Amino acid sequence: MSNEHTVKSYEEELRYLIDSVIKMGSLTESQLVDSMDAIIKVDKDSIDKIIKSDDEINKFRSKIDTQIMTLLVKRAPMAIDLRETISSLKISQDLERIGDLSKSNAKKVKPLPLDLPEELLGNLKRLGELVIKQLNDVLDSYVNKNYDKAKEVWEKDEQVDDLTYIAMESVIDFLSKDKKNLDFSTHLIFATKNLERAGDHITNIAESICFLIKGEYLKGSRPKGKVIEK
Amino acid sequence: MENVKIKSKNLNVYYGEKQALFDVNLDLNEKEVTALIGPSGCGKSTFIRCINRMNDVIDICKVSGNIEIDGVEINDKNLDVVSLRERVGMVFQKPNPFPKSIYDNISYGPKIHGKGETKSELDEIVENSLKKAALWEEVKDRLDEPGTGLSGGQQQRLCIARAISVNPEVILMDEPCSALDPIATAKIEELIDELKKTYTIVIVTHSMAQAVRVSQKTGFFHLGKLIEVGKTEKIFKNPDNKMTQDYITGRFG
Repeated sequence: MSNEHTVKSYEEELRYLIDSVIKMGSLTESQLVDSMDAIIKVDKDSIDKIIKSDDEINKFRSKIDTQIMTLLVKRAPMAIDLRETISSLKISQDLERIGDLSKSNAKKVKPLPLDLPEELLGNLKRLGELVIKQLNDVLDSYVNKNYDKAKEVWEKDEQVDDLTYIAMESVIDFLSKDKKNLDFSTHLIFATKNLERAGDHITNIAESICFLIKGEYLKGSRPKGKVIEK
Repeated sequence: MENVKIKSKNLNVYYGEKQALFDVNLDLNEKEVTALIGPSGCGKSTFIRCINRMNDVIDICKVSGNIEIDGVEINDKNLDVVSLRERVGMVFQKPNPFPKSIYDNISYGPKIHGKGETKSELDEIVENSLKKAALWEEVKDRLDEPGTGLSGGQQQRLCIARAISVNPEVILMDEPCSALDPIATAKIEELIDELKKTYTIVIVTHSMAQAVRVSQKTGFFHLGKLIEVGKTEKIFKNPDNKMTQDYITGRFG
C-alpha cells in the first residue's frame, strides 16, 4: 500500500488489523520455540506456561475476528484492502491451529522419561528447528509483503515432509528395540506429526500472503516430501 | 457468449475549448450491465450521453471518433436521432416524471413513436411497462393520479417504465439511485437484474458497492480517459491499474 486512505480512521483500522496479525504471529512463534525446547530438554516445568500462552493466542484470534467484522461492515473493503482483510482472517486461523499443535506438543512432555537418548531426539530437533525457521520466514514475508520469500517457504515444506519421515523412522527404530518404549515413543510420534501439520499451516499462510500480494493463488501443486508420498 | 452491442472507437468530446473525453475505446456487451465509475467530472456521464446523442443539444459540444450500435455508426448526420433515442432509453439521477398522470407518463412515448394506436394497445403497453418496472402492483388502481405524487423510488421506477415503454434495446442510467433510500435502491437493483435479460444496460454510479452488485463489466474513468475496463469481479478484487486501485479503495487525494 503506497498511498494512504483519504479517511484516516480507515487507514488506522487496517494498520491495527495487520499489527494484530503480526503480534499474534510473534506469540505463536515464541510458543512453538518454547514447546520444542520443552520436548528436547524434557522440561516439565515449562508445560503450564506454554499451555497458558495458547489462551493469549486464542484471544488474539477473537480480537482479529472482531476487527475484520468491523472493517467489513464499516468500510466494505475493495481490491488490496479486501485481500488484506480476507488474508488476515485466514492467516489468523492458521496461526491459531499452529498454537493448538504447540500446546498439544507441550502436553506430550509430561510422560517422557528424563533420560531420553540423544540419537532419538536429534532428528526431531532438526525438524523443530526447520518448522520454526519456516514460521519465522513466512511471518517476515508477511511483514515485508515479500512474494518470493512466501513462495520459497511454500516450496520448502517438502523438506519438512522429508524430515518428518526421517524423525518418525528413528522413533520407530527405537521403539522396535524394546517394547517398554511404546508409551512415550507413541507420544513422540504424535509430536512429530504435529510438527508436520504445523508445517502445512505455514504453507497455508504462505499461500494467503501470495494471494494478498498478487491477487491470485499459487498455481500448481506444492512439492511433496516422503511423508506425504508414503 | 459475449456479443458487443455498443462500440466506441477513439471517441473524443469537447465542450468548447475543454476536452471532456480522450480517445475512449470501450465495448459494451449485449444484455449485460456495464458500470462506469470515476470521480465527478471524469467523463462517465459525458460518455453515456454520447450513446443516445444527448450531447447534440449542447451547442458548444463537439464529438469526434465513432460510436457504433450493432455495427452502425450513430454519429452519422443522416441518422434519425428520434429513432436512435427510441432504441436507447435513459434514466437520470433525479426522477423526472412528466407533470401528468401515471398512465400518460408511460403512454406518451409509444404515442409519439407511433406505437399503440388503439386505447387497448396503449393499455397493454402501459401495463406491461409498469410490470417490467416492478411498479404495476403499487399503482394499478391509480393510473390517473399524477406521476409526481409517487414516492422517489416509485417515480424512478416510473421513469424506467417510461423508458421501457418504447421497447428500447439499450437503457442508460445516470446515477439512478443516488436520490433514493436503501429500500428503493434495492428495488431498482433487483429491477436492473431482471432488465438485463432483455436490455443492454449502462449505469453510471458513485457507489462502488452498487457497481459490484449490479454489473458484469466495469470501466474506470479519470480526467476524461478510460483508465481500465474489465470484468467487475476482477476490477474490484485485483485491478491492474494503480489509479483504479487508489480510487476504489478510497486513496484518491
